[in-house]
Amino acid sequence: MTPSPQTTRRVAIVSIVTFICLLLAVFCGLVVGPTSIGTSRIFGSLFAHLGIGHSTLDTMQTTVVWQLRAPRLVLGLLAGAMLAVAGGTYQGVFRNPLADPYLLGVAAGAGLGATFAIMDVGHAISTPTWTPLIAFVGAMLAVGCTWLIGGRGLSSNASTLVLAGVAVAALLTSAQTFLQQQASANSIARVYIWLLGSLASASWSSVNLALPYVLVCITICVLCGQALDVMSVGEDEARSLGLPVRRVRTLVIVASSLGTAAIVSVVGLIGFVGIIVPHIVRLVVGTSYRRILPISVVVGAAFLVFADTIARTAVSPSELPLGVITALVGAPVFVLVLSLRGTQQ
Amino acid sequence: MSAIEIKNLTVRAGAKTLINDVTLSVEAGTWLTIIGPNGAGKTSLVETVAGIRKIDAGSIAITGQNIGGLSERERARLVALVPQNPFVPSGMSVRDYVSLGRTAYHGMMRAPSAGDRAIVDSVIERLSLHEFTNRNVATLSGGERQRMVLARTLAQSTMVVVLDEPITGLDLRHQMDLLELLKKEVADCGLTVLATLHDLTLAGQFADRLVLLDKSQVVLDGAAHDVIRDAELASRYGMQLRVVDVDGSDVVVPVRS
Repeated sequence: MTPSPQTTRRVAIVSIVTFICLLLAVFCGLVVGPTSIGTSRIFGSLFAHLGIGHSTLDTMQTTVVWQLRAPRLVLGLLAGAMLAVAGGTYQGVFRNPLADPYLLGVAAGAGLGATFAIMDVGHAISTPTWTPLIAFVGAMLAVGCTWLIGGRGLSSNASTLVLAGVAVAALLTSAQTFLQQQASANSIARVYIWLLGSLASASWSSVNLALPYVLVCITICVLCGQALDVMSVGEDEARSLGLPVRRVRTLVIVASSLGTAAIVSVVGLIGFVGIIVPHIVRLVVGTSYRRILPISVVVGAAFLVFADTIARTAVSPSELPLGVITALVGAPVFVLVLSLRGTQQ
Repeated sequence: MSAIEIKNLTVRAGAKTLINDVTLSVEAGTWLTIIGPNGAGKTSLVETVAGIRKIDAGSIAITGQNIGGLSERERARLVALVPQNPFVPSGMSVRDYVSLGRTAYHGMMRAPSAGDRAIVDSVIERLSLHEFTNRNVATLSGGERQRMVLARTLAQSTMVVVLDEPITGLDLRHQMDLLELLKKEVADCGLTVLATLHDLTLAGQFADRLVLLDKSQVVLDGAAHDVIRDAELASRYGMQLRVVDVDGSDVVVPVRS
């Protein structure tokens, strides 16, 4: 599609602004924290890693920067990017502005899996190692159930799949509530913390766990932007225009769900990013998913890292739940963009 | 040569038969309009030809190729559809909307090529849409919108176009304008048209051939002039009709009983 000159100019400005925001987010993620380390020394260490000059950080500072802040920053970038692009993709494929990455039961499945692991239901799973894996399996099983109940997503239309997702999520959430009722106060507290989502336990191993899924899934979703634009006229018309609708739907749903499950399994349930970021981007750059999805990747990544910086520094040394910050920061920004856009029109 | 060859076509939706053993062929470069009362199966027939509905029995061939075994992409290069109620996504520009017609050519993960853009530009020019290209589709009037939908269909560069009630909701002038545009495409590009229309006068004036469909079957098939004068037509509509000659054009007038 050929955007108008005004749209091209606007997209260029938005791209530059969001890229600067991303750089600022990376800066905040590495530099801001309770342990005060000079910016120049942190970047000196960064260049040293790239083979330029020498690091002047001591052992403790090196650990803080490279084993605590850096993996947390990378995981935040990955989580924000994945949740935002998955939300945008779901909104496109289901033609539903309320769609978020948890629409087909990913959250409920991961929540039940994490509850299983944290409560050590099988008495054979040690929590820190197994929680992400069992949450991931739970998330994928939930989406699988939704797919089967919704007519394998092939014969049915998209709304049947959404309704199946609602049913599966309700069932799994009630199972999770039942399990929690049997749990000790300590376990419930840990489950609750997991459900709120956090980057506090980020490590290079959790980055490695999520990275391959997230990179592949984001690439697929972004490449499908053109197809989602065609699907905006409805599935029947899209098919008459020559789009293999069922194949596109399957591809983007699998990619979004897999990437979201990978992220949720390592950071818990972070709400609001997946629904709010694509909407903010849409209000600024227009309705084409070829523009919405790539810009959502950058905005989502920067937004989550900013939110996490606030979450870990506002009441330092303790932390605020990340999901609370994403909503607290995201909702006013969304309302502001919405009202500015309304004034322009 | 037949551009559309429908043989013993049957289409069902659950227990209901929508099209019952219909056989029809449309010569290349001609215009065939399907008329008939509500519920006759007109929309089902054109949607099946456009590949939206599944064929339960029989076959449809477009320019000699059986569409049953074709992919969406292959079929969309043979036949294009103007649906009865096209969905117009608010926020999309007119140019982007017309560009959707090139989907079958550039693939699902690629942007339109320079060649695709040139075809879109030429259709926009032909249908006098150039002043709207950057307008939001939701801001167009009914006539402008229907012209844009026709532009998207022509951008598909197919030799066969099917239209389902393309003039619904348009005033008389815009109805005539749209049908004249289409007639010009038939004359200039050798397009084959299969359309459904409720307006019997316009159906008779623009089509080379009329087919009366009722209760899922073909009842009458012939030259427009003959079909609108056939007593069977009025009886199928369950009313009296009179055909009046106005300056050499047939006008179908309903008569109150």
